[in-house]
Amino acid sequence: MNTTLIAELIRLRYKLLWAKTRSRNGRIALFLAGYLILIAAIALLTTGGFGAAVVAVRSGKGEMIAQAVLSGIFFEAVLASNILGFGLNAIFSDQELRRYPLHAADRRIARHLIGIADPFWLLFLAMDLGLAVGLYVAGAGAFWFGFVAVLLLFVCNYLLARIVALLIDRMMQRRGGSALLLGLVMLLALGPSILQPVFRGHPERTQVALRWLQFSPPFGAASAMIHPGIQAANGILLILLWTVGLLALLIAIENRPPARTAAATLEIDWDSRYERAAAFFGPGTAPLVAHWLRFYLRNSRTRAMSLLQLPLVAFLTFQIGRQAGANGFFIAALGTFPVATFMGVARITVNQFGYSAGGFRRYFLLPTDPAATLRAGSLASLLLGAASIPILLAAWLVLAPKPLDLAMFLMLACSSITGLFLFHALALWISLFNPRKGNYQSSIGNDLSLGGNILVIGGVLTALLGPRLLHRAWPAPFDPRNWWMILALAALAAVVYRVSLNAACALFNPRRERLLAVVEGRD
Amino acid sequence: MDAIRLTNLAKKYGPTVAVENLSLAVRAGTMFGFLGPNGSGKSTTIGCMTGLLDPTAGEVELLGQPFTASSAGLKRRIGVMPETLGLFEPLYAHEFLAFVARMFGLDESTTRRRVTELLAALELSDTGKTLSEYSTGMRKRVAFAAAVIHTPEILFLDEPFESIDPAGVALMKQWLRRFTDQGRTVFITSHVLETVERLCHEVAIITSPGKLVWQGDITIFNDDGAIEFDGRQFRALEPLFLHLTGERSADLHWL
Repeated sequence: MNTTLIAELIRLRYKLLWAKTRSRNGRIALFLAGYLILIAAIALLTTGGFGAAVVAVRSGKGEMIAQAVLSGIFFEAVLASNILGFGLNAIFSDQELRRYPLHAADRRIARHLIGIADPFWLLFLAMDLGLAVGLYVAGAGAFWFGFVAVLLLFVCNYLLARIVALLIDRMMQRRGGSALLLGLVMLLALGPSILQPVFRGHPERTQVALRWLQFSPPFGAASAMIHPGIQAANGILLILLWTVGLLALLIAIENRPPARTAAATLEIDWDSRYERAAAFFGPGTAPLVAHWLRFYLRNSRTRAMSLLQLPLVAFLTFQIGRQAGANGFFIAALGTFPVATFMGVARITVNQFGYSAGGFRRYFLLPTDPAATLRAGSLASLLLGAASIPILLAAWLVLAPKPLDLAMFLMLACSSITGLFLFHALALWISLFNPRKGNYQSSIGNDLSLGGNILVIGGVLTALLGPRLLHRAWPAPFDPRNWWMILALAALAAVVYRVSLNAACALFNPRRERLLAVVEGRD
Repeated sequence: MDAIRLTNLAKKYGPTVAVENLSLAVRAGTMFGFLGPNGSGKSTTIGCMTGLLDPTAGEVELLGQPFTASSAGLKRRIGVMPETLGLFEPLYAHEFLAFVARMFGLDESTTRRRVTELLAALELSDTGKTLSEYSTGMRKRVAFAAAVIHTPEILFLDEPFESIDPAGVALMKQWLRRFTDQGRTVFITSHVLETVERLCHEVAIITSPGKLVWQGDITIFNDDGAIEFDGRQFRALEPLFLHLTGERSADLHWL
């Protein structure tokens, strides 16, 4: 094994991390990372370590608490590493490492050592170790059994995360893969609320689930940390078996080349649906709007989110509405409907040029006012967002409690329009002043800027929680007799959008060199 | 008439000077080579001449009219193949070319005809692949097609021939010669001096930061003539270029 070269590559990974701090955004990232590590270290000492351990031992439920904490960390690590992409850097892919004089086995070892040596993974190791040390200090379990169990659990956790990442990658290469993936993510997110009624009031089901969980790596580690002798050895053996199994599975998946679909010759479609939809904007703007519609709808993530947002909105309306008392579904829908007008397109709308890469230059070579592209992009997004409104209203007509109140219907239309315009107005400013270079093809992970995240997450939370909170404080706007109030709000939102669009277009040209630097990765 | 005229053009990025008081004139109907070492400001100059970048000072005139980033009318008369190609990756080649053609005001039937002809001529008929799946050479050919589809009066080509196969390069050269024969102007940057020497009528050489050090007719090289400069005779473009930009030598004994 070429240990010298492998060590050099790990060092290179850290050098590249450090190199990011040379840019302004990198310094902010470094500050945030430092801050997060500090917070995490405190969490490690309190929750993950001594706190949890002492509580566990004193309450006499040491093993149960250790199982819960270790399972939580294990699950979070798999989820977070896949969503945020930590330790899965493309520049250390097998293909990239082929340029160095390394054998296939060395390349595999190098890749996974680089992955597991990521600061992100070390944080999880620290948390696991904190718990083991805490339990030992509190008088439960033997240190060395706990230590070995933590190391094995850590490796096992990393291997599972890599397997999940590979499976996601393979899934995304198949037709409809992104929609399937997003469906799975949503199922995972909604899982607890779906499973709650299954287990509530049925302790026997919980017992069955717990019996099965005894064979999971975190439970094995908990057993090794708490119990002495043979039981601890059994726990370690269990994790060891998992580690070997996962390693074999990882190697098998890595050795199996991804299925490549051969590109078929395409019949040229000169008058596509994009051109037909954009024709509404007139001959001057239509080609640009058609281009943007194509840009949005050819993005697998936008398509998947657009498909999933409607069932999600239905689910959220039902969940929030049934807890909100009289007219609960209506009040919930006043918040959830606007979410469906921007959720599908949000990623590109708040970072309109971040995914254009080299194509961004083209906009300035076209014989038109450069700001026309900002306008056309925003209008295309607005059009796609607005397309949800008739579907939402039709669903309300069918599913809403009867008899149907026309004022409520109008209010729902107005709240959707308000959300649509306000989100797009704010997104223009984020696109101009807080853009971020993103990967158009990426199917998972959060690649938005801070402003983009605040707008998308804040927008969803405001829409979901706002109506309920406002209804408690000031019920008048929710009374169907006061329908005109929300109509006025929708009109105001349209004005805000119009003013924002004009102002943003005026600022686009002066901002273009800065945008160019960000979009082309020279920031 | 001058097709391109730069007067005291300057571009600064904060304290960094990328182009310094560059003045240049290119006659209409000329195949003009714009040369310089890496980082000398060639792409920045083209950026200023095509509306991508705002000059810090100085003026750009194209076809006798002042040019700025907002000169939509003038942009319709020029074609640009930028250094980064400026392609929209998720599109198919025909979609991209049709989009560019429509933006440049070509009617529907002309757009279809020219796109089809360009795709066939440049061997880009693999319509099942998006631009992101194309090879570097194919992407270059698409960018070239986008630059010429509206028959511009001035064509700016930033490193047009690299990565393209010899047959493709020969075809492009043939088109470019016909282009200038019709009185149109081609402004090329390239590091391949042999190509520039055989193709261009005139050349300007700049050094960092965007300073013009020589401009002149180079057709004399094709007639086995020589250019006199600094008391020396140069029979090819390469020695002249190296003399002007500074020849480098480093003796690495182990190499």
